[in-house]
Amino acid sequence: MAATMIVAACGSQPSGNQAVTFKGTKKVGYSAPLTGQSALYGHAVSQALNLAADDINAKGGVNGYKIEMDIQDDGTTVPQAVSNTKSMILQDNVVALMGSVTSAQCLAESPIAKQNKIITIDATCNSWQLTMESDVVNPYWISIVPNTYMEGTAAGRLAAGLGVNKIFIVSPKYLFGISETNAFVAALKKANSSVQIVNNPSTWYVPFPTNPRWDSTINAIQAAKPDLVYSNIFAADQINFVKQALAVDPQFFVKFPMTTLVSVDELNTLGSQYPLGMHAYMRAPFFALQDNNSRLADFITRYRAKYNGEYPSDWAVMDYDAFMLWAQAANSAKSFDADQVVKQVSGHTFDSLRGYKITIRPNELQANVGETIGTTTSSSAYPFPILKDSTNLKGDDLMMPLQMVNEIKGDQCDGTAGQPNTANFALCPSWKAS
Amino acid sequence: MTPGQLLLFAVGGLSNAAYLFIVAAGLSLVFGALRVINMAHGSFYMIAAFVTVVIANQIGAQLGFWGGLLVAVAVTGAIGGLVEVLVLRRVYGREHLVQLLGTYAVSLVVAGGVRIVFGANYRTVASPIPGHVDLGGYSYANYSLFMIVAAILIGAGVWAMLYRTNLGRNIRAAVADPDLLNATGVNVTRLYTTVFVIGAGLAGLGGSIVAPSQAISSSIDTDVLVLAFAISVIGGLGSIIGSAVGALIVGMVVSYGLVNPRTNQFAIAFVFIIMTAVLIVRPRGLFGLPEN
Repeated sequence: MAATMIVAACGSQPSGNQAVTFKGTKKVGYSAPLTGQSALYGHAVSQALNLAADDINAKGGVNGYKIEMDIQDDGTTVPQAVSNTKSMILQDNVVALMGSVTSAQCLAESPIAKQNKIITIDATCNSWQLTMESDVVNPYWISIVPNTYMEGTAAGRLAAGLGVNKIFIVSPKYLFGISETNAFVAALKKANSSVQIVNNPSTWYVPFPTNPRWDSTINAIQAAKPDLVYSNIFAADQINFVKQALAVDPQFFVKFPMTTLVSVDELNTLGSQYPLGMHAYMRAPFFALQDNNSRLADFITRYRAKYNGEYPSDWAVMDYDAFMLWAQAANSAKSFDADQVVKQVSGHTFDSLRGYKITIRPNELQANVGETIGTTTSSSAYPFPILKDSTNLKGDDLMMPLQMVNEIKGDQCDGTAGQPNTANFALCPSWKAS
Repeated sequence: MTPGQLLLFAVGGLSNAAYLFIVAAGLSLVFGALRVINMAHGSFYMIAAFVTVVIANQIGAQLGFWGGLLVAVAVTGAIGGLVEVLVLRRVYGREHLVQLLGTYAVSLVVAGGVRIVFGANYRTVASPIPGHVDLGGYSYANYSLFMIVAAILIGAGVWAMLYRTNLGRNIRAAVADPDLLNATGVNVTRLYTTVFVIGAGLAGLGGSIVAPSQAISSSIDTDVLVLAFAISVIGGLGSIIGSAVGALIVGMVVSYGLVNPRTNQFAIAFVFIIMTAVLIVRPRGLFGLPEN
């Protein structure tokens, strides 16, 4: 018999001070990089998920159960993420998972979650292969993060609009980096076929996680003298690269401007050291999404109050959304069964902290979430740069065309059918025709 | 590749080698003298980096960094002394696996403690030696050049300590025959503590010097340890000259390997291929001495 628990909601929780009766407790799992290359992201996501669980519990929980986060450190490694996922499912009996940080981890976790029929809401790892390639796809995997096709397309259009001729690429060498860089190059070439990538494709990628020294890449950029550097390196890698490049020359990013993936975490860590004038693309920067957005404003206030004044990063915003989406769908399904919950997700529309509603496209269970682009500039309101002239690109304009999704799912774009990570959208008949 | 580019990548390789040597020097010293593979070496390095960043950010990058460096070396040396007395004395002379487990346990305790004390967020500090040198159309960071000089000085200092001082003579004698050294009136137990304190202090020096060039987090202890061990194995565990040569090989292989389209994909693998080849051909490393 499930234990009955009485908890008192406290503080500024949404439902106020009222007693909530629970049938028992259910756990939601998250394999978190609390250490290692992406520790910064795991820290933010964990905080957001705990806040989301508190908010949900203050409103009565999910299906009458109190929700408890089960967060286990994976050190930003694949083997530990796999071990955590197995332990959370088989020992802790989690009813849902939140997607890990890196695509390599998610790629390894997804089959385990699928086999055990545990729904996963993914708000960080974002390789499009995770929701489309038939060798990988998991019917219980929901992506509410702009995937690598959407993000690479946004970056490619951003770079093409800068009117540059010579571009240098640097990217982490694993599924995410390769997938996003391919989408970037495709969108760039589509918008401006004369643009030249100055480094050989085999040198686009750096080992991940990498040596903390970036001398080779910085020197290669100096030698190639590009008009623009495109990068999707992130977390500790981006911070080390920026610091070491600025030591080589404070004008490094003036000489070699960058179009780069950024999150509030990198901006906040480097603060005033973060270069201005960077052409950034971001997933959910709170400072660009808060106009006329009382829901986000309330979240920021409560997040900062709970976590020593920290600003919520993009990861915190997206994972709060992920948890809330799952909770709403599970409540609508009146069940924790993955099939029932997915039915309440697929094709449905949800509120989001991002200031717009998001809809989950049934074909690949991908949300039509947007991407924010702009140029870094100093801010008097925050202790780190923000974006000027920022634009929130609409997810619907970035999503992969349905025909292409269906071709990928039908193995028409697969370099080696039957093997994971071999699908390439550039091989799709509809892409070639376009 | 033009001569200017050759120089550019050579200096890049040297910077990388300097960074790795600074970390590996203390590791090698401790193994050479105590025959202990110290898995907690990265922990001392990490503690020193945090101490340096905190102090430098409190009182300014210039004075703060140098003050922080001194404090960090003192703190890591003191912690090293405690670890030697409380942990290592119980595992000397036992098989390497026990020593590995003992020092690994220390590294886990330190990692947890650092996370509690300093939190999960990355920390950064401005360079105490800003500026750059332009040569042949390319820029070189003053701080990278400083790291190269610091590595040379550290290497020379450790070598001089080992081969030009009474302490060094005793350390070498302890490696050869600790019982005989003890019989001559030298307190070998205290000597071992001294060596470990110096090794920990060297790790601290490395952490302080590296701090302005990268993000400091509670995982930098493990980031560096794998390559530091590779260097020590290539050069010969226990040999300072070997560590320098090993670092140079690894730094250059990575620097040139990553920018060459033909070798980019294997640049890091080359390091371990070289390490494996050395282990097959000369298991004690290029400059290592056979164990008694």
